[in-house]
Amino acid sequence: MFRRSSYASVAAGNSGQPPQTAPTRSGAFSHLVGSNPSSGAQANYPSTSHSRPHPRSVDIDGHNNMSTSWGRNGPLPSYTSQFGYLNGYGGGIPDGPLPSFFVPSYLRGSKHAEKLEEVHNARVAAHRDREYRSTHSSNTGSLSTSSSSVNLHKGAPSHRGLTHDIVERAPVYVEEPVVPWPTKWNDMDKYAQMEIDEGGRQAKYGGTPKPHDEAASVRADHPMPRQCGIYYYEITVVSKGKDGRMIGVGFCGPKVVLSRIPGWEPESYAYHGDDGQLFSNATTGKPYGPKFGTLDVIGCGINFRTGTAFFTKNGHYIGTAFKDIKNNQVYYPTVGMKRPGETLRANFGQEPFAFDIDKMVQAEKASIQAEIARAKSPHQDKIDETDFIQGFVRQYLTHDGYVDTARAFKEEVIEEVKALAADGDEEPSYVEAEEDLDAINRQKIRAAIVGGDIDKALKHTSAYYPSVLRDNENIYFKLRCRKFIEMIRRCSELTVQYRTTPSKRSTTSTSNNRNSTATDEYDFEMELDEQLGVHNNGASWGDGADLHADEDDDIEDKEAKLSQLMTETLEYGMELKSEFSNDPRREVKRALEDTFALIAYENVRESSLAPLLDTAGRTPVAEELNSAILVSLGKSSSAALERLVQQTEALVNELGDDGGPGAFINVRRDFLM
Amino acid sequence: MSSSTVSVSAATPTQHAFHRKIDEIKPSKADINFVIMDYLISEGYPRAAEKFAKEANMILPVEEESIQSRVEIRKAIHAGDIDTAVNKINDLNPQILDTDPALHFALLRLQLIELIRTCTSTATSDITPALNFASSQLAPRAATNPDFLKDLELTMSLLIFLPSDNLQPQLAELLKPSLRRDIASRVNEAILCSMGARGEARIRSLVRLRLWAETKARDSGKDLPPYIPLGLQDADNNGSEANGNSEAADIMVQ
Repeated sequence: MFRRSSYASVAAGNSGQPPQTAPTRSGAFSHLVGSNPSSGAQANYPSTSHSRPHPRSVDIDGHNNMSTSWGRNGPLPSYTSQFGYLNGYGGGIPDGPLPSFFVPSYLRGSKHAEKLEEVHNARVAAHRDREYRSTHSSNTGSLSTSSSSVNLHKGAPSHRGLTHDIVERAPVYVEEPVVPWPTKWNDMDKYAQMEIDEGGRQAKYGGTPKPHDEAASVRADHPMPRQCGIYYYEITVVSKGKDGRMIGVGFCGPKVVLSRIPGWEPESYAYHGDDGQLFSNATTGKPYGPKFGTLDVIGCGINFRTGTAFFTKNGHYIGTAFKDIKNNQVYYPTVGMKRPGETLRANFGQEPFAFDIDKMVQAEKASIQAEIARAKSPHQDKIDETDFIQGFVRQYLTHDGYVDTARAFKEEVIEEVKALAADGDEEPSYVEAEEDLDAINRQKIRAAIVGGDIDKALKHTSAYYPSVLRDNENIYFKLRCRKFIEMIRRCSELTVQYRTTPSKRSTTSTSNNRNSTATDEYDFEMELDEQLGVHNNGASWGDGADLHADEDDDIEDKEAKLSQLMTETLEYGMELKSEFSNDPRREVKRALEDTFALIAYENVRESSLAPLLDTAGRTPVAEELNSAILVSLGKSSSAALERLVQQTEALVNELGDDGGPGAFINVRRDFLM
Repeated sequence: MSSSTVSVSAATPTQHAFHRKIDEIKPSKADINFVIMDYLISEGYPRAAEKFAKEANMILPVEEESIQSRVEIRKAIHAGDIDTAVNKINDLNPQILDTDPALHFALLRLQLIELIRTCTSTATSDITPALNFASSQLAPRAATNPDFLKDLELTMSLLIFLPSDNLQPQLAELLKPSLRRDIASRVNEAILCSMGARGEARIRSLVRLRLWAETKARDSGKDLPPYIPLGLQDADNNGSEANGNSEAADIMVQ
């Protein structure tokens, strides 16, 4: 807690005002983030206990007294409540007019489900944004709406690295509208006497039929998306009407009349409960399965790849029902009843299904995977797959400036080739890939970012590739943000070190020194500083040596450093803020807000924002800068391996858009993870 | 968003719509790096993997014990030292060869080929060791499986033709280093599978998926440009591909 209070005091000191408000995130940094400082509803802290005149004494006192008392009993729940819904997001449904989102079990992990989820998340974000703008009473919206904080919960494997920026996997490029799946019966697309209930899941034939109408039908709100490959839904017969005459379950086109039972019209396909027969464009049926009635669960599915449809009863597969399902037609789930009182309840995937549809989809996937595994190049005799793949790896490593790796890989491959050619039958020559000078420069820049020394990266980039930062403001912004994050990281590290100083001095100092870099280019860098107007504030950030040089400092010195560090961090933060606060781009605003949110936490590493601090976040910035440099050099921004992935995804999309085999493949999940 | 900065676009008017679709897909570098790391680890390039972990800011997957023995086994097979390889495989896990008779047979046959090679290249041309090995090690196994038998018969015919500069392709195949490489790679996959890992490096599956998808899409009459080049031979390693197949390598489906 003391860190927060010290920040507050430092901030207050800098802005020349005594800290009147409680030192919460919104209080202390409102002038930075531009949020409303009067968010007293969340900040129940006794404000007076923190308005100390001297930041230093606050630090010590805060450390010794308040951190303990506050940590245990303090009103921290105000934060918890602010972020509570984030945690509950996976299961819960945000209130408001937004429709709930669910993924039917058999579609989990499918490409189509991912796309729909992205669209939904974007919608939720936009919705919160609107709420945020309309109420503007708290700054929680800024955090929770960003897709990055939603992504944090996806739990990527550790070595992949979570990305701080919202850009990398943003749900923004949606080349065409993603077709949603059915979620309920459509109240606007039903026979007049049909009553839709229970959030659209129940359809009941109420009232009395008009003399000439033969039945009452209803369509779902969306067609069965063929991009799913297989689409399946179930209905439960809640109660069969008095006479128990007839229920039809199936699917039909958007224009089929709803005053007839499904299956009698063109483009209408159904399974009837009274006789167990199948109907399509005919009033006479074909024998198919058992009859069904009250409490039976009937499933209806289309396999768009094979153009067939099937039904299930109470979890048992009945058999192929129709074989002429066209892949250029739109079909909606539909049900119809002949007598008033009949009631059906649909399950579009909100609940587990009675039939093991997951297994069917898995089997379909497995057979496609097997087909892929058998794929052979027509010219495989000419080119060895191993050589081909080594070519990709080698080209990627040189292209992206992994100079050391490329070198090590080359050596290992040469060893391998030599072993193979030991008896000299045939000399498989290893291809020399030239190392260009640029690769080495790019390697330096990457190494600087990956090592957390953003200033150095900025300097090198400006020196070697002066146009890149100018032409790519986006990347420049990310680097500046990353620098801020690195400063906060350092503060946080130093805080930990400071606290543990008496007992663990030596260990912490070594761990903290890992970012220190050689200063041989010091003059050069200073010169660049002036050109760039980079503020160094006396302490070079990547070069931590001066901060940790004398380990035998006593507490006051450490504390002074920490305090200085915080001041610098805040100054830098304000500089960053003033430079970009007028930027209209939403992603810039978000990134700023997310970054600034970090300083609100006493112990960021244990907060929900900890992933932002993760060193893994350095990599995407480094990659993006590298790509931009490549483009500026007139090279392709992407290596052949990336193009391989792009092409593969694009081809698989082509194969999936009409419900073909591609619908069963999620390139990323099935092949890249 | 990022596309504005890293865009390759410069869309020429004649560009096929599919190229645009390709450009719209933004694979994440993290995924690509993961695929590279997966390759280096599973195909056994430990030093490159270590460097890559450093340069790409990744955590080196902890599989170190097996990677070293896998590298040694690969080396032994590549060098034709099948005895050593088999011993090392069995040290690692005797189940691997027990449960995969085809792989075991392939290794033994490789050993036979090496024996034949040695026998026929010496001045005396004493083929007894090869014959002994074939009858003691391979013949009993070949009796259980017609494919093995066929392979054994083919291999034995090397005895008749060697040494020769003009072998029929089927036989010449047996003497190529690529056979050793293939078997080494099968062994590697078997070891990985035995450890519960995915046997094949992801990049291999990916290459196959790309191939399958293009073939399939062309077969079903999708509107695709005539060639979808990978750019493996672009400016980055300009014309340095020495195998003379560079163009064919750049286009997977013709």
